[in-house]
Amino acid sequence: MHKVVIPIGPQHPALKEPESFSVTLSGEKIMKFSARLGYNHRGIEKACEERTYIQDVYLTERICGICSHSHSTCFVQAVEEIAGADIPKRALYIRTLVGELERIHSHLLWLGVAGHEVGFDTLLMYTWRDREVVMDILAMLTGNRVNYGINTIGGVRRDVTAEQGKAILKAMDTLEERTNYYIQIATKETTLIQRLSGVGLLSNKDALKLGAVGPTARASGVDRDVRRDDPYAAYAEVKFKVITDNHNDVYGRTLVRVGELLETYKIIRQIIKKMPEGPLTVKVPRKIPAGEAVSRYEAPRGEDMHYVKSNGTEKPDRVKVRAPTLANIQTVAKMLEDRQLADLPIVIAAIDPCFSCTDRLTGIRHAGKRSKSVLKWEELHAYSIRHYREHGIDFAELNKKMRKALK
Amino acid sequence: MLSIFYILIFPGFLFLSAFGLAAQFVDRKLCARLQNRVGPPWFQPLADFIKLSAKEDIIPEEANPSMFKLMPVLAITAAITAIFYIPLWSVNPIYAFSGDLIVVLYLLTIPTLTFFLGGWYSTSLYSRIGAVRALTQLFAYEVPLLMSILAPALLADTWSLKEMSLFYSAHPFFWLFNILGFAISMIALLGKLEKVPFDIPEAETEIVGGTFTEYSGRLLALFRLGIDIEQIVGAALLAAVYLPFGLGLGPVAGFLLFVLKVLTIVCMLSILRTIFARLRIDQMISFCWKCLAPLAFIQLFIDLVLKGFIVR
Amino acid sequence: MTKEESIQSELVKKFGALEGKTRIQRPRRIFTEAPPGSFREIFEYAIQKLGFVVLSTITGLDEGTTLGFMYHIAREDGIMLNIKVSVDRNNPVIKTITEYFPAADIYERELMDLLGAQVQGLPKATRYPLSDDWPADEYPLRKDWKKSTGSEAKNNA
Repeated sequence: MHKVVIPIGPQHPALKEPESFSVTLSGEKIMKFSARLGYNHRGIEKACEERTYIQDVYLTERICGICSHSHSTCFVQAVEEIAGADIPKRALYIRTLVGELERIHSHLLWLGVAGHEVGFDTLLMYTWRDREVVMDILAMLTGNRVNYGINTIGGVRRDVTAEQGKAILKAMDTLEERTNYYIQIATKETTLIQRLSGVGLLSNKDALKLGAVGPTARASGVDRDVRRDDPYAAYAEVKFKVITDNHNDVYGRTLVRVGELLETYKIIRQIIKKMPEGPLTVKVPRKIPAGEAVSRYEAPRGEDMHYVKSNGTEKPDRVKVRAPTLANIQTVAKMLEDRQLADLPIVIAAIDPCFSCTDRLTGIRHAGKRSKSVLKWEELHAYSIRHYREHGIDFAELNKKMRKALK
Repeated sequence: MLSIFYILIFPGFLFLSAFGLAAQFVDRKLCARLQNRVGPPWFQPLADFIKLSAKEDIIPEEANPSMFKLMPVLAITAAITAIFYIPLWSVNPIYAFSGDLIVVLYLLTIPTLTFFLGGWYSTSLYSRIGAVRALTQLFAYEVPLLMSILAPALLADTWSLKEMSLFYSAHPFFWLFNILGFAISMIALLGKLEKVPFDIPEAETEIVGGTFTEYSGRLLALFRLGIDIEQIVGAALLAAVYLPFGLGLGPVAGFLLFVLKVLTIVCMLSILRTIFARLRIDQMISFCWKCLAPLAFIQLFIDLVLKGFIVR
Repeated sequence: MTKEESIQSELVKKFGALEGKTRIQRPRRIFTEAPPGSFREIFEYAIQKLGFVVLSTITGLDEGTTLGFMYHIAREDGIMLNIKVSVDRNNPVIKTITEYFPAADIYERELMDLLGAQVQGLPKATRYPLSDDWPADEYPLRKDWKKSTGSEAKNNA
């Protein structure tokens, strides 16, 4: 049969972020799959070396929009380890709380995206509506829906009040009920099961060999979870099960994620109940003594790892980030063996890819040097102002009007 | 002069477009409410159409421009032509001859063929995959659809929609025996209209927009309008074949009943499209051949038995 | 003796070169520095005999005259061993570890692109993570690599 190579990406409706996959098809069947990563490089690792530790907390938080708390926690843990800081219990509990809330929002988001990829938009609408519950809670606790900015070196920046605790418990009840409903959908709705089960197979052996992490690995029967194996924050003091599944396919990954949601509600309830009184931060010097540390964190997508090396100044010597998607993306080619084109979006989505996490580093174009069409920043800025003025929009005027209106 | 009125105003282009857009609104609103959304305001389909029409038509460099432009027009024409042979509010359609049922069914396959040709002549990879999928899907749902629509015709012993209507008016409750066929045709109609779970040819997460990837501006607006009209005509056909009651109510009441029947079918279609996930093309084909086709056979069998023992 | 200490003593007993270079920073974190000559032996021993079966990543470090490569490997029980090997900066040749961890491929490509490591045994493939038109001799994570001069670079960063 005639073979065609079709590009999926860098821009494609199935991908929420730019990455490029190239798929060789024979009819509907996938013969070859290759990925070209790197479209999201922003030079964050290099940038971290040029900023102070406290600036880096906020920079690492912006590695990813969904698991922002994962990255910043992972980073501060490493720095605190080098500095030898003893973090107050309450701060650790709050970090865990926000981390688990983030897991809820990430998993609900994933469930919706998975529904959308298989053309089941109703599921998308339902889960994303319920996701608003947890987003509101996060906004209430931290002031932001994403990029919470709650971590700082030596502790956390905001406290959780008793009323907030009550609101969280109430939200957990709502979410638990809704999650049970989704479990019912996922295990009973025929067309959904048809699209998920048997798709994207990754045997236990392959998962171990290719180094899969997180729900992707756990759905292939790999019983690994950093929260249990290498406890950080307050995880040593709460009880939870690590959900695994032996379906080895997208269906299994769905079950693992909804199962984890239920565990997360349990964790959050325990945290609210057990949260000790005490200070929120300890003082950590601006200059961190020379040393190195490795910090691991179970992000919603799998193990996140930061390596920090300090040199006694106020800026780190090296920051290395390994986001979970980079470990998982290598399993995708295996999962797509002998599958059809229609399975591709859901198989890619099933590892819950976050390419901006994956592509965190590297720099800038040599503006003006390599290509004449590249505008300098000031030129671009001036151009945009000019462009809008030509179209009758003047932001300076608008700003003035806005200020007046606000007065 | 009268035929021009038929073609352009009623029940032709103007009426069908307005009704099609209205039905699109009903479909979108109902779907939105089922999905816990607010949904669009009533004029949204018209606004979309006007906005799309005002946009630039972009024709791919390698595409065949005449075929590319012809296809949306052809889709609309075929769908409109079919309406003239379908009885709407009385037993009499605008035109009738013996065998018009077959003609209507074939006219309704033409839009799918235009999807195929339009996609194929766009020369884009996504369009071509979509085009091939549209055609593959056609072979799967068309057979159960034909069989289940021919079963009631068999009972009425005619290939003419007018004669069928006369027959079912004379035997008021016989349509109840065709409920199974109605269900099958409804599912097949989902495939014809490329709606979830059979929106495989335009699955946006897989092949961007499938057939319509390269279409933009007016041509896309026409294609979309064509699908809206096809939905009305398809629903009208189903109403005429499976719900042939109340045809003697006179023009006003009869017309309202016709609108009600069509909207009921449209609502059922949108409920169906809300509660399923999209199937894969192989699953769709095996579903059509393994489930729908045997069920259509059962419907045929029921009608044969009825005809042999009761109607004579 | 804790698990970490027994791993440490076992490593030092088996490989004399690690004497004094291995430290337990905190529970579940062991750091060690391997000489380039015996790195592979130590690495294989850790994987096959000590149960370090998870490769977390490889970190590349610019240490002035040498380039350091730190292999982060972990056990199922959460203990992580960080083996560093330093090679000459002007001739940074390391061997691929894809025979132990096929997934290491992408981490090694990253080292090639960003630090200019020469990884032996990797098949040719598209580069990761830099763009295809990135100049061949520029390695952004090396300390002497500076963003191109001028204000535009500062603003673009």
